[in-house]
Amino acid sequence: MLKMNRRTFIKVSGGTAAAVATAPSLLKAMEVELGGKDFSPVTYGERQAIPITCHVCNIQDGAIAFVENGRIVKLEGNPEHVSTRGRLCAKGNAGMWYSYDPDRILYPLKRVGARGEGKWKRITWDEALTEVAQKLDAAIKEDPNSIMLKFGRQRSGGALDRFMHTLGSATIVNHTSVCESSKKIGMEPTWGPDIETPDFANAKYILNFGSNIMEAAYFHNPYSQRIVEGTAENKAKLVTFDVRLSNTAGRSDEWIPVFPGTDGAVALAIGHVILRDDLQDSDFINTWTNVKVEELKTHYQQFTPEWASKLSGVPVETIERIAREFATTKPATTYTYRGPAKHLYGSYNEKACMMLPIMTGNIEVRGGYCMPRGMGWPQPQPEPPKPAKPSYLAHPDEYPLAGHKVSHLTPFWIAEGKQKINVYFSYQDNAVYTNPGAQAVWGKLYRDEKLIPFYVSMSPFMGEETALADIILPDCPYLERWEPESMPNSLWPWLGIRQPVIKPLGEARENRVMLRDIIHKLDADGSRGMKQYWNFKDGEDHMRHHFDNVPGLKEVGGLDFLKKHGVWPIYGKLDPATGKIVDKTGREIKADYGLHKKEIPEADMAGATIEANGAIMKNGKAVGVQRNGKNYVGFPTGNRLINVRVDQWAEYGFNPMPTFKRIPWHETMKDDEMIMTTYKINVHKQSRTAAVKWLAEIMHSNPVWMNTLTGNKIGVKTGDLVRVESAVGHLVTKAYVFEGIHPKVVAIPTAFGHWEYGRLATLKLKEKGGAFGAQDDPDLKNVWWTDNGVHPNAIIPVVADPIGGSQGWYDTVVKVTKAGPNDKYGDVQGNWEKHLEAFKETLRYAYTGDLHRKMHPEMAAWGGPESVKHKPAGGH
Amino acid sequence: MQAMRSMTMTSQEQKEVEPFDPQEVAEDLRARAGIYRLLSNAFGGEPGAGFLTGLRQPEALAGLSEMGISLDRDFTDPPLEQLEEVLAGEYTSLFASPGGCVPVESARLTGKLQQEPYYEVQADYRRLGFEVRQGRFATFDDHLGVELALVAELLEQAGAAAAAADERELRRLNKEVKRFWTLHLGRWVRGFGRLVERAAEHSFYREMARLLRGFAEDELTRRGIRVEDADGTVPETPKEETEGLTCGGVSKSYDRSNEVPVSLVAG
Repeated sequence: MLKMNRRTFIKVSGGTAAAVATAPSLLKAMEVELGGKDFSPVTYGERQAIPITCHVCNIQDGAIAFVENGRIVKLEGNPEHVSTRGRLCAKGNAGMWYSYDPDRILYPLKRVGARGEGKWKRITWDEALTEVAQKLDAAIKEDPNSIMLKFGRQRSGGALDRFMHTLGSATIVNHTSVCESSKKIGMEPTWGPDIETPDFANAKYILNFGSNIMEAAYFHNPYSQRIVEGTAENKAKLVTFDVRLSNTAGRSDEWIPVFPGTDGAVALAIGHVILRDDLQDSDFINTWTNVKVEELKTHYQQFTPEWASKLSGVPVETIERIAREFATTKPATTYTYRGPAKHLYGSYNEKACMMLPIMTGNIEVRGGYCMPRGMGWPQPQPEPPKPAKPSYLAHPDEYPLAGHKVSHLTPFWIAEGKQKINVYFSYQDNAVYTNPGAQAVWGKLYRDEKLIPFYVSMSPFMGEETALADIILPDCPYLERWEPESMPNSLWPWLGIRQPVIKPLGEARENRVMLRDIIHKLDADGSRGMKQYWNFKDGEDHMRHHFDNVPGLKEVGGLDFLKKHGVWPIYGKLDPATGKIVDKTGREIKADYGLHKKEIPEADMAGATIEANGAIMKNGKAVGVQRNGKNYVGFPTGNRLINVRVDQWAEYGFNPMPTFKRIPWHETMKDDEMIMTTYKINVHKQSRTAAVKWLAEIMHSNPVWMNTLTGNKIGVKTGDLVRVESAVGHLVTKAYVFEGIHPKVVAIPTAFGHWEYGRLATLKLKEKGGAFGAQDDPDLKNVWWTDNGVHPNAIIPVVADPIGGSQGWYDTVVKVTKAGPNDKYGDVQGNWEKHLEAFKETLRYAYTGDLHRKMHPEMAAWGGPESVKHKPAGGH
Repeated sequence: MQAMRSMTMTSQEQKEVEPFDPQEVAEDLRARAGIYRLLSNAFGGEPGAGFLTGLRQPEALAGLSEMGISLDRDFTDPPLEQLEEVLAGEYTSLFASPGGCVPVESARLTGKLQQEPYYEVQADYRRLGFEVRQGRFATFDDHLGVELALVAELLEQAGAAAAAADERELRRLNKEVKRFWTLHLGRWVRGFGRLVERAAEHSFYREMARLLRGFAEDELTRRGIRVEDADGTVPETPKEETEGLTCGGVSKSYDRSNEVPVSLVAG
């Protein structure tokens, strides 16, 4: 007879617990929903789910907007998206604030006071379009290139180029030189693409140079997921070189502080050790690059760890150790972002870094350094022809290699009269805030009606730049507009869309529609030949022209598929247990590697010739490369190889081989001088998140980071006011003193200190104490903070990489002192004349400048600028 | 606002109607509707030439003055075209450009445009047989000008009902007005009026804001409505954004008594 009572239950249960624990339970807690669905906690009704591509920043996460009773109530990741796999960052979660911001511009506004005075009159669209069309008409008659359009974070899918080409103007200027252009130019002539896609999840070793990838850099959401997989599941080692303890450095196995701008020297020294110790992948170098191992070994002999250590402050033994670890741990990858690239010679730095995966054969392998995978879409037909005349501002003569332009020097060139501007458009741009010199340079440009006679801002929000416009055309925030999208942010290519979740508020119009309306006003009857390029009913109709004939997508429904899913293809399902995309068998989907080793089909070889270097030529163009008897597509460069030696650079007197140039003014720094750098944080983008309530509440001010040694030296502790002075201006801010930064560096994050943006960004209404909304304003009633930070850009001089055109954001020498009696928190002063001097100084480093030759003694045989036959810059 | 249909009154409501002088009540209701229209025009958009011309007539100014609304010389003296231009600029600064105080209930009460009040009044308009007519510029359904226009229409109908001695209809319409004040106008226009009074540079908007506030207080008193003005207080957050969730996405208010014990399903 069994004894079934409480006592025996306890004894048996306790006694067998260990045994039972060894066997897995046949049940587990149920996953309710992984995403893609949402329910009202009040009514339990399912909310309408509309898939979109996020556009708070430029990572382009797959997202879903949930709508309840007409309102967007929630945003979350799209679980069908292969790249971001259902995750959305803090910024993306807050995106609906853009649509519902009470400070939104909802009607066309016309300036009625002096520029920047803040006096506006609401006008109808017809009035606005008529005025803009009249100005355009006059400008076209004088010179189409006198119409300029400068854009920031645009993802119009070709609409802006179409607009400018319709007008016949080539004066299209982007923002890339303040972003990552020297990274692009460091890479493109070498292997083709402008960015890498590291396979972090499968890597065993990740060497990160100056990228805050876990927090803010390109492409932080999908990449931080993969880095976590790589480090946690695959036991990869993550090593970060950075001037400060970023959130990425803090999550790395090692943070190695480095003196600003010397990452390239460290990378070359790592390369030196690899080649010296014969740890390179000789087969890869000899097969896939345009140099041979011996040539490389000889070239790298000069870059000793001792040399790099003196420049960078990184100990010799650390360089030696990291080099051996990187070369012997397979697979391995590097990653870079702005750290190495945003310097006077950023392109050299970038190239030095990318040489490491090249020389170790980690290119296009699982867990290695892969080429980006993107997808394109066709343009609606017909397309306007390209403008007849080139534009100086779009392709300045001094920077022929800067295929992504040198936009941050634009104000000086316009002031110098290099190119006359009659009508100036800006779109998703805020150069008065985001560019070096800020209000001292760009603010001066826009205020000058002789230099910019008519300025039209296409923007949903007021900003430092839009505040200086003559006409504001109300654009739609991203949850109200159509856009085609694709971003190489994972190893699986995808196409996506942004689609309106709600109708535009007020009288906002999405950009492609307002551009169409301008053209239609200018060419009402079509007799000028412009209207034919803008023949679409609305945004959705334009998307159909893009997407309904993409092979593969067309078969599953074209745009209708994208409207339903937000993204195509759907590679698999999100596995609730792992958070990864799996196929029908439950296995994680696999990426394709070795893109360069795809063989050219025999049929495509008809009519091809093979050159001595193996290049497969067809119609005067290299379409592949023959290696070991096989016909490969190779890399997307002119010769289908990786060009370690970039001959085009040598034409302009630049070193074609991997090299490093120290920033001259860093060599002559005094003891009490430091380098000021800037950075971005996880809840803000550059210039348009400070008014987003959820994000502003998390972070709204930006003390200057400095090392404890520095603080002690100048007698400053956390919270003290300090004066930061550069050659072009000064600012007064608060100090944050701690160990997490190089002692010779101070760092200030951007996104703060706005003076013309929403009420939460400026806190102006709060300051006024009741004069205009003030304490009665519902938004501000809930705002417990009074400090909106200090913006540093006015004291940062322009620096242009003579190769890539990048702004040298991290090259500014400053003196930091305890604030004086006349210094007030928030003081920012920049001086136009001094900025102008900085502009002239940086031109001296261009290939046409007097310092170019001095900086390149190794290129003594170069024939000088006169020997160069100018070629139009490339880029895209 | 455009009228679409009307509704009927219940027998219970009929019993509650007090005896009244139809013509006197009708006159009173129509007069009040006139004030609503005046305010609706003042805040609904930039004042047009006709509206301004009418307001600058001596009898109009005298009437306003008698009420205590004193428009300064910046309103009475300039040429009409100039006044129109100045007021268009002031309107834009105050109500239609960034940094202003947008006269929209959602923005005033929640800090965001097009929130719950927008959809609530939209439903009210539909139920009451109206739809918003967009003028020179598109407007929000919960814009002050539209909300005031609704009450003006209801009072005009009430006036007609009174004149026709249709007590049941009168009662119904008065209830609608009271409800709309309780749920919408009463919750924000007094505070908003105070704000505009301080913020306005031109006497026209300063005085219209005074009128708005004073008239609102009078309407609330007269109708016996006790509602707190929430304009300028901490913004409201819609319920579904504040309702705490327990693990698994179940509302706190969910009745757990019928649930299977957790120990049986969770490992």
